[in-house]
Amino acid sequence: MERLVRRELQSQVDELLSKHRGLAVISETDTEVIVAGKLPFEASADGLETITGSFDIEIRIPNDYPKQLPQAKELGNQIDSDYEHRYTDGTLCLAVPIEERRVFAQQPTLLGFVDRLIVPYLYGYSFFKMYGYHPFDEAEHGYEGVLRHYMDFLELKNEVAALRVICFLFEHGYRGHHDCPCGSGLIVRKCHGPALRELHENHTSQTRRRDFIGILQFCAAKIEYGQLTMPDRLRNQVLRILNKTKLVKTN
Amino acid sequence: MTIDTKAFSHFLEQVASEIDIPPGKYQQAVERYQGVGRWLEEGIYPECTGDLSIYPQGSFRLGTVVKPIRDGVETSYDIDLVCELPLQKSGTTPQSVKAMVGSRLRENRTYAKLMDHEGRRCWTLEYAEQEGVGFHIDVLPAIPNPRGLLDTAIAITDKYENGYSWSASNPRGFGEWFDRKNQAAFALAVTEQKQRIQRNASLIFASVDEVPDRLVRTPLQRAIQLMKRHRDLHFNNRTSNGYAPISIIITTLAAHLYENELDVYSTLSGIVNKVQAHAALIEGRSIDHSLATRGLIQRRPDGTWYIGNPVNSDENFADRWHEDNHARARAFFQWAEALQRDVLHALSMEDSRVLNEHLSRTLGASAVTKHLGLIAPPLQPQDVPRIHIAEPAKPWRDW
Repeated sequence: MERLVRRELQSQVDELLSKHRGLAVISETDTEVIVAGKLPFEASADGLETITGSFDIEIRIPNDYPKQLPQAKELGNQIDSDYEHRYTDGTLCLAVPIEERRVFAQQPTLLGFVDRLIVPYLYGYSFFKMYGYHPFDEAEHGYEGVLRHYMDFLELKNEVAALRVICFLFEHGYRGHHDCPCGSGLIVRKCHGPALRELHENHTSQTRRRDFIGILQFCAAKIEYGQLTMPDRLRNQVLRILNKTKLVKTN
Repeated sequence: MTIDTKAFSHFLEQVASEIDIPPGKYQQAVERYQGVGRWLEEGIYPECTGDLSIYPQGSFRLGTVVKPIRDGVETSYDIDLVCELPLQKSGTTPQSVKAMVGSRLRENRTYAKLMDHEGRRCWTLEYAEQEGVGFHIDVLPAIPNPRGLLDTAIAITDKYENGYSWSASNPRGFGEWFDRKNQAAFALAVTEQKQRIQRNASLIFASVDEVPDRLVRTPLQRAIQLMKRHRDLHFNNRTSNGYAPISIIITTLAAHLYENELDVYSTLSGIVNKVQAHAALIEGRSIDHSLATRGLIQRRPDGTWYIGNPVNSDENFADRWHEDNHARARAFFQWAEALQRDVLHALSMEDSRVLNEHLSRTLGASAVTKHLGLIAPPLQPQDVPRIHIAEPAKPWRDW
């Protein structure tokens, strides 16, 4: 994903501001562009009620967007300070990184970011405040959330499979004729092809590395407690990757 | 679209209170620095006969606190605490005064952990707070330095490359001068404000009597807060960061120029317009006679600048303005002009989006957006975007 040319960024900003008229460009520096203001919306979802809300938000667009996605913050203290999916500085934790990228890919513009990630988050929060549960479910904190996303998205049977998948993506990217890392015995093309391709295309080297570390740490903890066993081949692959990326020196 | 000045003034008042320190946080700050004060008071200092005098100076004393902001992020509050030891100047040195206070602080295990490196004039204690923004307390060791019997002037310690020296200061005197300038407005505002504060923070203050005077804000104090915040944002993204006008200059000029206007807008525009009227000095031209006579900002024959401390004319707040080809002087007037344009001229802004952009850029989106409804018309129902959610992500948290 290349950095956006100024013109392209401007046209994405224009598109965003023409639909969400309460927002404005607040600041433009070498490192980021900040858009902020009021975000009123009327949002509906299948099988759920329509919710009208309005939040004061700030969107910080880094200068390497879309390689790095924007950060969103709620400014008006409308979201409870102890709400789990919000950091103490007001930044909203919209999704597990790979899921955030996958959703963004469906409409990879600033407007898409707002309509498909920020508004659903705010809808979810409003719903949660009213009814006490999240309408679109919530991801577990930290590495577990990352891992569960892989398991849900690929319908994997266990955590070791998730580790195999992330190692596969790390070492091979997308290879249609390799054995599918889910362990089915089929080749990728005949198995999880489309899903793996989607993951591969939406990962940046940064997100892939973080997911690898996260899933590995989660599995390592379980292995230590005897809740999981890692097959030798997988262990060797993990060591290979660790060595290659110089995360850990293994002699 | 023109905005009603009354509505705009109310808006500015609200923005100022957003960037102010909330009453609960203020109480927390007071507790913290009183704790430090008590510890210092109970120390034993060689050759000290008598009590220490410990008191806040700067924005906490004057009631002009603003949430500091750096790179768009709010950083910790800055509390200046003077620690005056009853010593004779002839009987001690700045180095030993500094050291005495430092070692007393370090005797306390908690403070020792909070202490940063030695500052030029102070010892800094960094408090991270669990909720929201933290504090740092700068403890300034000092001794009395009176020029006369009732003089509150002090000498503070100044560390430079080769050693320590004394530096003149008079925070108590300045505080009293400021209070006098603020007095009439304070008397008008106090009852109504204390009632409001007590109502909004009834868990902290059980009755109006418990609300400290230091939480009352007159239009002068509000104007100073807005000017400081505008300054923080104006210099944030520029290389001219080091030349930003210091708060004491902003406070002094504002207090001098305040004419007891009753609302924030009139106060701010009065101050800024009169400050800007001095801009001709940059080019060495003369300014309006009545302003020149007051001598608030002076350009001397040798080209250097003078803004006197109202309680000590020997102290020149603008003593560095001529450096680097008058960089600070130019930065000051450019900033004043920007303030005029950004805030005062907002009244004639055409578009509510442009208005939002301007005000947010210059005063901070977080403080402005919340109160924009006071001056901009709300979006019509048909303008509210409709969004259908399909395949949403699950919210997460990194840890």
